[in-house]
Amino acid sequence: MKYILLMAGTKTGVTGYHAWSQKDIESHMAVLTSINKELTGSGEFVATQGLAEPGEAKMVRGEKNGIPVTDGVFPESKEFLLGYWIVDVASSERAYAIAARISSAPGPGGVPTNMPIEVRRFASHGPSKGQ
Amino acid sequence: MKYILMMNTMRAGQGVPSWQRNDLQAHIAFMKDTNKQLRESGELVAAEGLSFPDQAKVVRAGNDGVPITDGIFPESKEFLAGFWIVDVENPERAYAIAARISTAPGPGGAPLNMPIEVRPVMSGPPPEML
Repeated sequence: MKYILLMAGTKTGVTGYHAWSQKDIESHMAVLTSINKELTGSGEFVATQGLAEPGEAKMVRGEKNGIPVTDGVFPESKEFLLGYWIVDVASSERAYAIAARISSAPGPGGVPTNMPIEVRRFASHGPSKGQ
Repeated sequence: MKYILMMNTMRAGQGVPSWQRNDLQAHIAFMKDTNKQLRESGELVAAEGLSFPDQAKVVRAGNDGVPITDGIFPESKEFLAGFWIVDVENPERAYAIAARISTAPGPGGAPLNMPIEVRPVMSGPPPEML
């Protein structure tokens, strides 16, 4: 079963991350790298992707004539997707265990961030699935 | 340049299954046609739909690293319903694709004009991270 593990945060949170020391950022990345390696080794890894800064986000709507209308203004409270992992696992519990490992990646001073990770199963069929 | 096109929904988005069958079929046909065109132009990298928000869990690690799962979300939370990753020449092309997706038909065939969030994705994790 495929699950997506979504890491989201507000603009304020992203600004806070930029203030981390180089050493803290390196420790954080080292743990994420090691998780990716383990998932690749276990055959559970499907994909991972980081997204560009929320400042580059645009909201797009199609007008009546199909012309795109873009807007870059978002509510302060909006959570932006920062990155995701897609894993192919035997059970939801395994997906939650991987999410917990990501959640416990170290933050400033090596203290686990315990950041929330949203875990969602892929639809087996649905409007957005292009097969 | 790679962009991710995100279709978000509030919980009210769960109303989609209550659409009439022919409205749902027209919506799915539109999405399939869009994906087919993107595949043919070589711009489609990935497209996925997610299960409904009622199956979503938020997971945190406890002190001992054991997962703590919770299924309660703020009322205002937006849920990702599905996404496309496209590899395009410029942001304008990504916005044009998003606008096309935005006009997918809803009940009675009227365009939904739903908002699609467009974000550049990083070129991919460095090889040493995999």
